[in-house]
Amino acid sequence: MIELKHIFKWVNTGGNKIFLLRDINLTISKSEFVSIMGPSGSGKTTLLHTIGLLDGFDEGEYFFNGEAIHSMREKQRALLYKKNIGFVFQAYHLIDELTVYENIETPLLYQDYKASERKALVSDMLDRLNIVGKKDLFPSQLSGGQQQLVGIARALVGKPDLLLADEPTGNLNSKQGEEIMELFHRLNAENEVTIIQVTHSEKNASYGSRIINLLDGRIEY
Amino acid sequence: MIRHYITIALRNLYKQKGLAVINMLSLTVGIACFTLFLLYAVNEFSYDRFHANSESIYKVYRHIPAKGGEEAKDDIYLPMPLGPALKQEISGIRNYVRFRGAWGNDYIRINGKVITGPGISYADAALFDVFSFPMKYGNPSQAFQKQDGIVLTETSAAQLFAQENPVGKTLEVKIADAFVPFTVTGVCYDPPSNSSLNFKLLAGMPFFNSLDDGKKHEHNWFRSGYTTYIQLAPGSNAKAIQQTMRDFYGAHYPEEKGEPEATATTYGFLPLREVHTATGIEYSAADPKTTWMLIAIAAGILLISCINFTTLAIGRSAGRAKEIGVRKVIGGTKKALVLQFLTESVLLSIVSGIFGFLLAYLALPAFNEMTGTAVPFSFRQFPELLWMLAALVLFAGLLAGSYPALVLSGFRPLDVLKRKLKLDGANFFTRSLVTVQFTISAGLIISTAVILRQLDFMRSKNPGFEKENIIVVAGNENDTTGIYPLLRQELLRNPQIKGVAGTDISFGEGNGWSLSGFDYKGKNRQVYEYAIDDAYLRVMEIPLLAGKNVDAARASDSVQGVIVNETMMKEFGWTPENAVGQVLDGYSENPRENPVVIGVVRDFNFRPLHEKVEPQMFFLHSSKHMPSKILVRIYPGNPAKALDAIGDVWKKQVADLPLQFAFLDDELDRFYKNEDRWSKITGRAGAVCIFLACLGLFGLAALTSVNRTKEIGIRKILGATPVAIVNLVSQPFMRIIIIAVMIAIPLAWYVMNEWLKDFAYRTTLSWWLFAAAALCAVCIAYLTIALQTLRAARSNPVKNLRTE
Repeated sequence: MIELKHIFKWVNTGGNKIFLLRDINLTISKSEFVSIMGPSGSGKTTLLHTIGLLDGFDEGEYFFNGEAIHSMREKQRALLYKKNIGFVFQAYHLIDELTVYENIETPLLYQDYKASERKALVSDMLDRLNIVGKKDLFPSQLSGGQQQLVGIARALVGKPDLLLADEPTGNLNSKQGEEIMELFHRLNAENEVTIIQVTHSEKNASYGSRIINLLDGRIEY
Repeated sequence: MIRHYITIALRNLYKQKGLAVINMLSLTVGIACFTLFLLYAVNEFSYDRFHANSESIYKVYRHIPAKGGEEAKDDIYLPMPLGPALKQEISGIRNYVRFRGAWGNDYIRINGKVITGPGISYADAALFDVFSFPMKYGNPSQAFQKQDGIVLTETSAAQLFAQENPVGKTLEVKIADAFVPFTVTGVCYDPPSNSSLNFKLLAGMPFFNSLDDGKKHEHNWFRSGYTTYIQLAPGSNAKAIQQTMRDFYGAHYPEEKGEPEATATTYGFLPLREVHTATGIEYSAADPKTTWMLIAIAAGILLISCINFTTLAIGRSAGRAKEIGVRKVIGGTKKALVLQFLTESVLLSIVSGIFGFLLAYLALPAFNEMTGTAVPFSFRQFPELLWMLAALVLFAGLLAGSYPALVLSGFRPLDVLKRKLKLDGANFFTRSLVTVQFTISAGLIISTAVILRQLDFMRSKNPGFEKENIIVVAGNENDTTGIYPLLRQELLRNPQIKGVAGTDISFGEGNGWSLSGFDYKGKNRQVYEYAIDDAYLRVMEIPLLAGKNVDAARASDSVQGVIVNETMMKEFGWTPENAVGQVLDGYSENPRENPVVIGVVRDFNFRPLHEKVEPQMFFLHSSKHMPSKILVRIYPGNPAKALDAIGDVWKKQVADLPLQFAFLDDELDRFYKNEDRWSKITGRAGAVCIFLACLGLFGLAALTSVNRTKEIGIRKILGATPVAIVNLVSQPFMRIIIIAVMIAIPLAWYVMNEWLKDFAYRTTLSWWLFAAAALCAVCIAYLTIALQTLRAARSNPVKNLRTE
């Protein structure tokens, strides 16, 4: 599903090149559950954003389902992104002015679903994550764990092939974190969603099928 | 999708109540102002278009080409026989309407009670066929079938007959010396505000022709005083017909025959739709430039209010950034986001629009008074207003929202989510916009100061005679020949009254003038004439430089003697030493043939101060033609008591007619109605502008202090005083405002200098006027920011830092 070949990414600071990613070669196949680990500043998040098309790279090749991302136009890339990728953040990043229901519905609005379809999809998602009762609440009225559930529901509602999570349990207590990891595990096992998560925790990483260790922008084998 | 946008827009507005109020208030005021000026412009540009035949109606004017050093002249006052002759002799002219407008007010008697009512106008019955003045009661084709028929308008009917239908009722109008009975034959709807043809009481031409004036004028080609409209037959060409007018003119004025084509007098046809703006031809025409000036001012106000929305939206973008980032991450395209933000701003402008229209409706009477119009907020009269206002709201929303929409939707999601973004009220674009706001505001304030100064200059300038404490009593329509001597005698007996004099023409707007042209030693001269009595110069306190006053006891004075002013003396090449005794060769107005100068008076400003003093001449009233204006000089102190006294004497002498009077200095001030109007317009527009600009500044200062909360907290811990904090926050803004004022001063100076060139007597543009007005703008802005920032500056720094 994902194939990265010799990916380099750098920034220029005062004439010096600082490498964020150095010669990344990585293949992830469908329905894998991959955890990216490494110390702070090792490039975990950068790698996740690069895979998730939120950030570009300076050198190398990237194939997504066989399509060459590096030679794509911005518009095509956006379309591909919209259809295939869902994102979950450490800080949830829900829209404060929208209710739970509306937050989950928003991605569907951008994908031109009809009103009836949207309703069915959102209801289904609320059901699956057991948050039907919270649908008319605003994010500020929810606990962190519940907010993250909404974040996940929002990432999944458009039925993406790939779910990317940046320290999804970072702001949660251990019990809430465990629940989220259980959910990821189930999604991966039952619905065959490909998951890539960035985590600091060995325990969280153990839910996944593979661990990638990064150090100074390089994959450590 | 739109519903979704509206939901989030409303929730955002609710969450940011303070900003929403500022935005809405400024857009409401902006839209309200623009609506009023738009209404004014629509009214101006739609003049006379409501007539079904408006495209085939023309107003006839006389065109005298330039000749021998004299400028070309156009005149709309034409002789009576012209209309019938045109219809009879020229094919292609379907009909004609002659019209004689009302002169001031007339006395009207109903059931024995006399009131000062609307003046009477006269027209041919075809008026109701050619023009579209529909009738509420009565049959237009029979309006003037009987000679005593009279048509009222809705308003005059209500004034004279209260609510009942007056058709068939009788009213009497005082014409010349007698009350003449009329029978009401119809009531038509009021001529709309955009009609150049206006009347309140309308009688037929056949009646007019039965009067002394009418009898003299009906078949006389040398008595002008009537406007003539023609309606062309379908398919006829106005241009082609106009070509034949030179011959037509020659046929009726044989002395003009043989005049070369280039200088031959002719008639021109002015399309009815252009009558209102034909400044060269029509006396009361409005210069469309004025309308565009007003639109420009209104556009400035709207721009300022839209800028408020723009700068505040950008200033608040930090608060919206997260939402934008999230939306982009979950698939929102730039286009979708632009659409969302535009929906938001248009929504806001629709809400503001509704309030704005309401505000405009409420402010309309005051606006009409200010501009001297009577435009109604009526979609029936101005159907085009509907789409114009819709477009205005949409435009305001898009203008205000497009820049923030582009900026906000251009955020890169990762920058936002990583909090890399820093945008507040201090970026270049925002600064430029605030500069524009304050340039417009300061410019208008400075202009107002200049106009007011000129106005004050004109009002307080000594015109050359004592203008205070003179009451002008109108003798119009009264037979003063018999009354005046008695009236004068009685008035002079009163201790409140110092002197009484008579004249035919008072001074000031609306009082008219009498200009006489004659050839003196081979050169054409134009001289203003005033018929006076022997008390005039004394009562007005106009000093004689040479010679003597007119004297009713001296027989020669009533047929020969004239007094001239200094300017006339100089223009005719005389000196104070030799002026007396000069003969005005070539002057001939019955009974004066070649009159002789008996005195010279010092120049005084009898015309508005736009004009230099012109040649002026006085002569004694003939005993048969007594004064139509009685000037009463009262002792200073108690004008009310003096007025009572005048009223008593008037009642005794002129039992049945109410007293009409005015103060001479007020009448003179009326010369400057236009300047007064402009000072009010720019003054109020300036006030609105500075209010709106400060409203925006208030919001920006609030956002800045929020964005700099942490910095303010640290500075306070380090010992900064509240005043230092206020200065810290206000400094960048004050810099902008001072730049704006620096731009506004030369602009306003240039514009006002041009404006002042219209005045022969004008004030000087002193530097302190600009400095004061600019300082005023700067102070208001500083106070606004200080008011807002002081709160942040006073708050507990520890609390601020803890929440960071």
